[in-house]
Amino acid sequence: MLTAATMATTLFVFGAFMLLQENLQNLLKAWGEQIQVNAYLDKSLDAADVQRLLARVRTFPEVEGVRHISQEQAWRDFQAALGAQSGVLEGLPQDVLPASFEIKIRENFRDGPMIEDFVNRLKREKGIALVEYPQEWVDRLSLVVLAVQWVKWIFGGALFLATFFIVESTVKLALLARRDEIEIMQLVGASEAMIQAPFVVEGMIQGIAGATLSIIGLWFTFQWLRNEIPTFGLLGSFSQFHFLNARHIALMLAIGWLLGAAGSLFSLRRFIKTW
Amino acid sequence: MIQLFHVFKTYPPNSQALNDISLEIDKGEFVFLTGPSGAGKTTLLKLLFREEEPTNGQILLNGQNINRLNRRGVARLRRQIGLVFQEFKLLPRLTALENVALAAEVVGTSKNGSHTKAYHLLRELGLKEKYTAKPLTLSGGEQQRVAIARAVVNDPMLLLADEPTGNLDAEIADETMRMFLKIRERGTTIIIASHNLELIKRYGTRIISLRHGFVADDLQKVVRHEGMH
Repeated sequence: MLTAATMATTLFVFGAFMLLQENLQNLLKAWGEQIQVNAYLDKSLDAADVQRLLARVRTFPEVEGVRHISQEQAWRDFQAALGAQSGVLEGLPQDVLPASFEIKIRENFRDGPMIEDFVNRLKREKGIALVEYPQEWVDRLSLVVLAVQWVKWIFGGALFLATFFIVESTVKLALLARRDEIEIMQLVGASEAMIQAPFVVEGMIQGIAGATLSIIGLWFTFQWLRNEIPTFGLLGSFSQFHFLNARHIALMLAIGWLLGAAGSLFSLRRFIKTW
Repeated sequence: MIQLFHVFKTYPPNSQALNDISLEIDKGEFVFLTGPSGAGKTTLLKLLFREEEPTNGQILLNGQNINRLNRRGVARLRRQIGLVFQEFKLLPRLTALENVALAAEVVGTSKNGSHTKAYHLLRELGLKEKYTAKPLTLSGGEQQRVAIARAVVNDPMLLLADEPTGNLDAEIADETMRMFLKIRERGTTIIIASHNLELIKRYGTRIISLRHGFVADDLQKVVRHEGMH
């Protein structure tokens, strides 16, 4: 019981961390999708040149998709953006704004130096006058991804170690309570495997029970937070957040199972040695 | 069958439990180990089932040096030895039948086979009605019979009993001794540590007296077991 409760508590913390990390990564991914490179075209290009250039840009490995914004489209977009103030544009020629390509970058290329390299190659293309991209954004995003990765390993590692030792010592307590049983098993000549099996199986069951408890606890906490804190300021709304998926739930159950078994085995080895 | 050569046992820091014990016990012997408390009776038994190791000297069981056994070897050795203790040492969460069957399962008997064996044995020992009872609901005499059934369920070559009648009244103690004699008829060597002089006088065929860790006396005698039939 104590083991299951301890396991539930630690796995709850671990699960909460996993939930946060997963959602943060989803958020970063969503932000990453908004990163786009704008390439402004030379005004001298005719329609055939533009089509050729478009086809050429699409062959770059970094490119996920390209949207061609014609001069007319750019004008209309600008007008729409100005709204009621669009009257100020009166009298200006409609081709004052350049045509451009809005380029979406593939996920595994959304990294500072890689985008910079892509932009430099793009600049060398004939017919492209100017290339713009949100460099600061890209750099900051890479930094956040790196930080989350590091925190995941450091925090996750420490947590596993702590859980293992807690499980090990609670199993030790359980063993002390049942030392008579172990002694009798040894006296009738039971093999080590036979003596250990019930404890290991019990450890596994407790591990899975603890993991299940923690998942249920996490789900309720998640629902409660969703009702209590509907918006998250900069991070957007809580409704964008998702609960752990089937793979993560399976992972938590597996960790519980493994920690329960390993904790029991480790404890037993030491216990039987010092008998 | 059992040979002890100059066996010493010292407990730290400097307590001499056994002092230069050399003994030979043949197959099928019925031996009483006697002597005052602290004479070394229990220590000697513990050496025989490898609960303890001698500080010096050698112990051979069927020619095998049991001090050289690893943990697996110790488990194998114990499967050939039946053990009976003053405090019975039964598992409280198991029934009488399961306690006996456990020892049979340990040597690889199937669950069904173990239960059948245990059931017959308990019936033979007069516990037919009690085989589903948990140990703590049984009387001392009944618990000791369950413990004896467990000790002999695998037809051991050797049965070691440490003060088996210490918690029993005279009549039940007598009955227990008669059970041991019956077991001996199967060819099992029996060593009983006891300081119950009455029982020793009545049933002992060989009496080894220990004092301060030394063998003080080793008597062989022919006795008539009045209570047997």
